[in-house]
Amino acid sequence: MNWPAIRAVIGKDLTAVRRSKAVFLPMLLVPTLLLVVLPLVIGLAARASGGSGAEVSGLLDRLPGGLAGPITSRPPGEQMLLLVNGYLLAPLFLIVPLMVSAVLAADAFAGEKERRTLESLLHLPMADKDLFVAKLLGAFVPALAISWIGFILFAIVSNGVAWPVMHRIFVPTQLWMVMILWVAPAVAALGLGVMVRVSARAQTAQEANQLGGAVILPLIFLAMGQATGLLLVDLWMAIAIGAGFWVIALWLIARGARRFDRDSLAAMA
Amino acid sequence: MTPLGRCDRTGSPAQESTTTTRLDEVPAVASRDVAITTEGLSRAFGDQPALDDLTIEVRPGEVLALLGPNGAGKTTTVRLLNGVLTPDTGQARVLGLDPIADGDALRHRTGVLTENAGLDDRLTARENLLFTARVRGMSRGEAERRVTTMIDRFAMGDRADDQTLGFSTGQRKRLALVRALLHDPEVLYLDEPTSGLDPAATREVVALIDRLAREDGRTVVLCTHFLGEAGRLADRMAVLHRGRLQAFGRPDDLAAELWTGLEVELDLGRRAAASLLDLLGSVPGVGAVAPSDEGAVVTIDDRARVPGLNRALVAAGVDVFATRPRPPTLEDVYFAIEARAAAPTPLPTATAAPAIDEVDA
Repeated sequence: MNWPAIRAVIGKDLTAVRRSKAVFLPMLLVPTLLLVVLPLVIGLAARASGGSGAEVSGLLDRLPGGLAGPITSRPPGEQMLLLVNGYLLAPLFLIVPLMVSAVLAADAFAGEKERRTLESLLHLPMADKDLFVAKLLGAFVPALAISWIGFILFAIVSNGVAWPVMHRIFVPTQLWMVMILWVAPAVAALGLGVMVRVSARAQTAQEANQLGGAVILPLIFLAMGQATGLLLVDLWMAIAIGAGFWVIALWLIARGARRFDRDSLAAMA
Repeated sequence: MTPLGRCDRTGSPAQESTTTTRLDEVPAVASRDVAITTEGLSRAFGDQPALDDLTIEVRPGEVLALLGPNGAGKTTTVRLLNGVLTPDTGQARVLGLDPIADGDALRHRTGVLTENAGLDDRLTARENLLFTARVRGMSRGEAERRVTTMIDRFAMGDRADDQTLGFSTGQRKRLALVRALLHDPEVLYLDEPTSGLDPAATREVVALIDRLAREDGRTVVLCTHFLGEAGRLADRMAVLHRGRLQAFGRPDDLAAELWTGLEVELDLGRRAAASLLDLLGSVPGVGAVAPSDEGAVVTIDDRARVPGLNRALVAAGVDVFATRPRPPTLEDVYFAIEARAAAPTPLPTATAAPAIDEVDA
């Protein structure tokens, strides 16, 4: 592998993305809303409720004992914080690595066609596989970094705002750890895998994002399902879902890699 | 003027000889004297052939113009020569390397100016160059030094740290040319280097390419449909039409292949009368004769006939204000080849006609 060239491509792509408000701002705003503003508002609301658990009791009643047990066993004032910041936001958090990796991958792959920079890139002395790896890492690493930094902020905000009620650190839970370390990278890889395939057909990053948007919807439904108690994600299910995402993602990436060659790219340029 | 096959300059078919020479026939050149060679190089996209059976050789230090209208196969040729596209059939060697098997090694030694410059507009000019330098294997320090040197050399210092989004087409082309030259390539591919430029920028870029080719001795493949720049820059030209090579050689040689004789304009102060045309037709070596507003246009078989022609006119009491040999221009040659390509006829045959550079010496 030609790592200096790979680093150069990643550096170039990230510098370019940083200067593109249309790409960069959503990557900052969505994690900020989901991982900072939302837990802050919920924490403040829980504190304002004055220790009554009535708001969440209806929902907790519908959850199976195994999942509801750790929540219902806590004092009523902690229940909303535990339920929302400890459990319900976990699947929603997956939108962050998915969105960031998809947006960056669309810019890295389809964006080169849109900006008409692909051909000059293909005339450089860089092996096809190095270029592919550079484009993948250029989307995957920032997606993971933003997700993990976002989670650290989420943990700080959640624990900080809940401290007067909880008097203890309650995030990360075991579910959160699985989400962060196992499912989030899988989801980022899934977003990449889809975008690599989609970008082969799309002529612009926007077109790729629209086509790839079909991927993000199931994740949102998953989160909504979790929130309404329709789809329950316990620890083992999260691990299994993560494994499923990894399998699909690696399959998509492997197929994308096989089709990622100069000749095919030049024919589209 | 649409000669079909070999014609004299008035359009009459030339006499065939027993020696048949294809315009695209390539003289054998020892491998050490060849920078680029292709043999039967072909590539199609779907059912559409983009390049069909291209066989050419380019010598080191030579400037070859690839001429042809849009869709002729010029860009496809460059992509095949630089290992970006894989040929369906045939083969190529550039600097002794196979563009497919040794693609990266080859691309380290070639530079390409693509038609649309291909700059990332979100980066500054310097960042665009630094990225290329790093991918080409230069260390960070080496890349920064080289980029600074090139920016100074090409007088781009005032815009070096601006994003290229606001650059004019001329500035973009110039920057893309700097990028193509960053690593001092042995072979330079220039794909439509002046397209979209205003006349001043065109002149500047052409002068720059001329300097690069002449002073630095690079092998240059110049894709263009601007005959002026090809005429100024190219040693030889290859004319492509719908992916097929129609002609390959020096413009003068191609003209000699296409036409016999040399057209001469006679400025006699007024339109020549019929009797004077008869007189001109009787001068030895004069072929076709036609009146013109200034006098007459005649076709002679050799430049050496001009003094005799003048003597005959003076002896007949005709005032001769000027005698102007008019060799075919590159434009004449190109359009004659294009016209022949559009209406294919059997390949022309060579005669003992003098090359244009001989009659125009």
